[in-house]
Amino acid sequence: MKLDNIIATPAKKVVYRDGDQAIKVFDESYKKSDVLNEALNTARVEETGLNIPQLIDVQQIDGKWAIITEYIPGKTLAQLMEENPEKEDEYLEMFVDLQLEVQKHTCPMLNMLTEKMHRKINETKLDATMRYELHARLASMHVHKKLCHGDFNPSNIIITPEGKPYIIDWAHATQGNASADAARTYLLFNLEGKEALARKYLKLFCLKSDTAKQYVQKWIPIVAASQSVKGKPEEQELLMSWASVVEYY
Amino acid sequence: MAKEYQIVDSVESFAAALNRVRAAQKKFATYTQEQVDAIFRAAALAANNARIPLAKMAVAETGMGLVEDKVIKNHYAAEYIYNAYKDTKTCGVLERDEAAGIMRVADPIGVVAAVIPTTNPTSTAIFKCLLCLKTRNGIIISPHPRAKKSTIEAAKIVLEAAVAAGAPEDIIAWVDVPSLELTNMAMKEADTILATGGPGMVKAAYSSGKPALGVGAGNTPAIIDESADIKVAVNSIIHSKTFDYGMICASEQSCIVMDSIYDEVKAEFAARGCYFLEGEELDKVRRTIIINGALNAKIVGQPAWKIAELSGVTVPHTVKVLIGEVESVDLSEEFAHEKLSPVLAMYRAKSMDEAFDKADQLIADGGYGHTSSIYLNAVTRKDLIDAFAARMKTCRILVNTPAAQGGIGDIYNFVLKPSLTLGCGSWGGNSVSENVGVKHLINVKTVAMRRENMLWFRAPQKVYLKKGCLTVALDELKNVMGKKKCFIVTDAFLYNNGYTKPVTDKLDEMGIVHTTFFDVAPDPSLACAKEGAKAMAAFQPDCILALGGGSAMDAAKIMWVMYEHPEVDFMDMAMRFMDIRKRVYTFPKMGEKAYFIAVPTSAGTGSEVTPFAVITDEQTGVKYPLADYELMPNMAIVDADLMMSAPKGLTSASGIDALTHALEAYASIMATDFTDGLALKATKLVFDYLPACYDNGMNEPVAREKMGNAATIAGMAFANAFLGVCHSMAHKLGAFHHLPHGVANALLIEEVIRFNSEEVPPKMGTFPQYAYPHTKARYAEVADYLNLGGANDDEKVENLIKAVGELKARVGIKKSIREYGIDEETFLASLDEMVEQAFDDQCTGANPRYPLMSEIKDMYLKCYYGE
Repeated sequence: MKLDNIIATPAKKVVYRDGDQAIKVFDESYKKSDVLNEALNTARVEETGLNIPQLIDVQQIDGKWAIITEYIPGKTLAQLMEENPEKEDEYLEMFVDLQLEVQKHTCPMLNMLTEKMHRKINETKLDATMRYELHARLASMHVHKKLCHGDFNPSNIIITPEGKPYIIDWAHATQGNASADAARTYLLFNLEGKEALARKYLKLFCLKSDTAKQYVQKWIPIVAASQSVKGKPEEQELLMSWASVVEYY
Repeated sequence: MAKEYQIVDSVESFAAALNRVRAAQKKFATYTQEQVDAIFRAAALAANNARIPLAKMAVAETGMGLVEDKVIKNHYAAEYIYNAYKDTKTCGVLERDEAAGIMRVADPIGVVAAVIPTTNPTSTAIFKCLLCLKTRNGIIISPHPRAKKSTIEAAKIVLEAAVAAGAPEDIIAWVDVPSLELTNMAMKEADTILATGGPGMVKAAYSSGKPALGVGAGNTPAIIDESADIKVAVNSIIHSKTFDYGMICASEQSCIVMDSIYDEVKAEFAARGCYFLEGEELDKVRRTIIINGALNAKIVGQPAWKIAELSGVTVPHTVKVLIGEVESVDLSEEFAHEKLSPVLAMYRAKSMDEAFDKADQLIADGGYGHTSSIYLNAVTRKDLIDAFAARMKTCRILVNTPAAQGGIGDIYNFVLKPSLTLGCGSWGGNSVSENVGVKHLINVKTVAMRRENMLWFRAPQKVYLKKGCLTVALDELKNVMGKKKCFIVTDAFLYNNGYTKPVTDKLDEMGIVHTTFFDVAPDPSLACAKEGAKAMAAFQPDCILALGGGSAMDAAKIMWVMYEHPEVDFMDMAMRFMDIRKRVYTFPKMGEKAYFIAVPTSAGTGSEVTPFAVITDEQTGVKYPLADYELMPNMAIVDADLMMSAPKGLTSASGIDALTHALEAYASIMATDFTDGLALKATKLVFDYLPACYDNGMNEPVAREKMGNAATIAGMAFANAFLGVCHSMAHKLGAFHHLPHGVANALLIEEVIRFNSEEVPPKMGTFPQYAYPHTKARYAEVADYLNLGGANDDEKVENLIKAVGELKARVGIKKSIREYGIDEETFLASLDEMVEQAFDDQCTGANPRYPLMSEIKDMYLKCYYGE
């Protein structure tokens, strides 16, 4: 296995290409269980028949865990959007269609989104009152069992030169309420400073999925709290403000 | 020294606390009203005394609201609740109505889980604890983390005062370290839930599986109409909106102002210290109050200037309310949301319709079922109040009232129950639509004694009798009643044979104009009745005289109805009923146009004194028995002169019909002392005089008169006690196989007597006064009255059956249905349908033995073969 062609460097990871394989090598700080969970999620989602890079192997390379998958040639949707701003609407349309396609599937062995969110709320730095509010809000949400990517954003979609889309990075996949997944995508756009695109996305998602905007919005404080656990200082102000809301006491 | 309480901070300690409350409540459930009232009073006094420290504590802990207003809330929760319920009975017997035989007894529900919000922590805790004490319930409180100290302190003060006054220790408990897990556990383990809180909490309550009195969010709109007193309206809204910095859920979130007074209203708001957000300020506040469609926690219960400051807008500290003049009532407009703070949306409406539409939308989006309010001239615009009340889907609709203080009741109105838990009905997902009070925390047991139905005896206003009385009786038409036009209904035979002549002569003599409809055939049809009614409509009589047998009298009754009420639907009148006094259909009032006189020419039907009429639909062959006391003739004339020449067949069939009327009325579950005497007498008259009438009727004036009386007397008996399964079966036998009604009854009656005499019937008739199967003894009484002899009831009943059989034979009635020439195959082919229809006949309900269809079938078969 040759590790000389670096194709991406997400946080605490390096992705290499070796022929038709992509090797994602995790930093030592990664927990073994997280790596194996990502591999297991990928394997499970593979079984749904969605277009995703196939899992080939999980192994240790020089004491670091690595996940080896099929290499998908092409550009990410994020790159394409950057390069062809005039096609933004077309790409966004494709993006939402893909997300809805994912959510059509069920994947019964995946973790439950609701449980994950309760856990994340507990891990936040919010005070007890706000955590209580968020737990109560979350408890009142409908529990669905749709496949949710958990980090659905244009940089996790690769479009091959033939135009076929592949969805990558299933580390955060769960089964749960589709609106939570949409709220998270909306949040990710906002954290990138793309407020207008975020609004356009939310409108399109609600239209295509026949969902009330308020229904998706109800999840925003929860996904904001969950994101705050990552502890990125530049995000904290926005996330705290978005999480500190009440229904009515 | 202060009492030490065990800390509840885990599932285990919660379970232990719940057990303590349960044990205490068990004891409390045995307390008397006097003990409870003393405890309720002591607890209310203690809470009242602590109102200021508790208010201070709540504001200090939550950082929301205003101490001075929270004092009012605490004061209200203690004093108003005490005052409202101090004399209310909540223990043991609540009411007792000896005559109706009803008693209501209150029982506590058990342990109540109470979820307390942060907006009104101490007052809500006081309120819920007092309600539970008054109703002998235990309570376990789940406070909000942001207000736990003050909530618990309030509960503790109430508990200690209650215990000092004699309440069981531990009757009130609380969670010290609140978590969603323990809140959910409280809801799941308690017997009922008093959940005040956001939709999430209310939903959790309802999904816990326990009955819940949850209440939800409000989004109160206030409409200001042109007729309103603008100063009153504006200042009421400000008064309510600023109360505890806008934290009462009933308080106004928006006001909708009619265009013509908009500027005046705006000027008054401004003059009274409200601030209208201008230009960019509006957007700044928008972005601050609502984040992604949800209420910013930082603005709840804060003064206006502070909210402005958070938004980057500077206003003087004296500003009372921030007002945003906005247009959209959609949720995309931040000002359209519930704001729980002194921030108000203001809308302009061109018409009242538009104002209603806006209010409707605001309620649907954020305050379904909660509260709405309107300001207008309550004297001149009552119509608007009605329209508003009809339109709003809110459980409280307030008029000219500050909504916060008005919605909680007893301050600006005095019948709305004081409460800090306001039901929002099914619209808000609640089980109650009113202000929650003590009645929602007790189970009321109703003790219902057995009572018997009121019964009655009804007969025509006038019954004239004696041979030759007809013309004398008719005198009244002229001399007393001044009638002018008489419509005579009879059949062709009677008409052609001069039976109506004495009547028409008499009418001519009195100068009463008359006409005769003589087209009534046996088993009169609906078409015939319609034709007669048409003739009546043309003639416009003020008096109707029916002369003939059952057919003519029944047809005349239907014509009478159609003449007086051409608008009624025949099928409605013909609808079956279980109880004539509870029937769905209200029969039209009769006698407004014409007086009804019935003159029988045969001794049997009794129709001259009954409220019944049977009519046949000629299209389908279905017979419709109509029954209502409105159909009772006004006058019956029983004159044997008209019966003298009745042929043998008619004499025997109608005579046995009268006998079955009497026997069934006597056995009926609705028989009374009033009808019994009539039934017995009629039976005896038939036994004594029918043979003579049959043998040589033309020459037996006394026997004819006695039989005429027997038929009318039996008619009066069954007009009030009704009939039984013999008539049910006879109706269908006659309809299916064209047997005369009297013959059909005659063929069935002995079998029915045997059937009803069963002491262990599979099912008995349902009527309170019919306590157990006793019909054998009733028939024995008949046998005794007829002097038939017999050593015991069994023998007596057998003797009665034998005597009936002998009488039938004596007057030429054959022994079986078959002997009347009804083909076996035809009979058997129709049997199942006859059975079902007989079962469903109106007469079946009064039968003492409730017949199974298989039993009816069995009787039909026995009577067919005569075995």
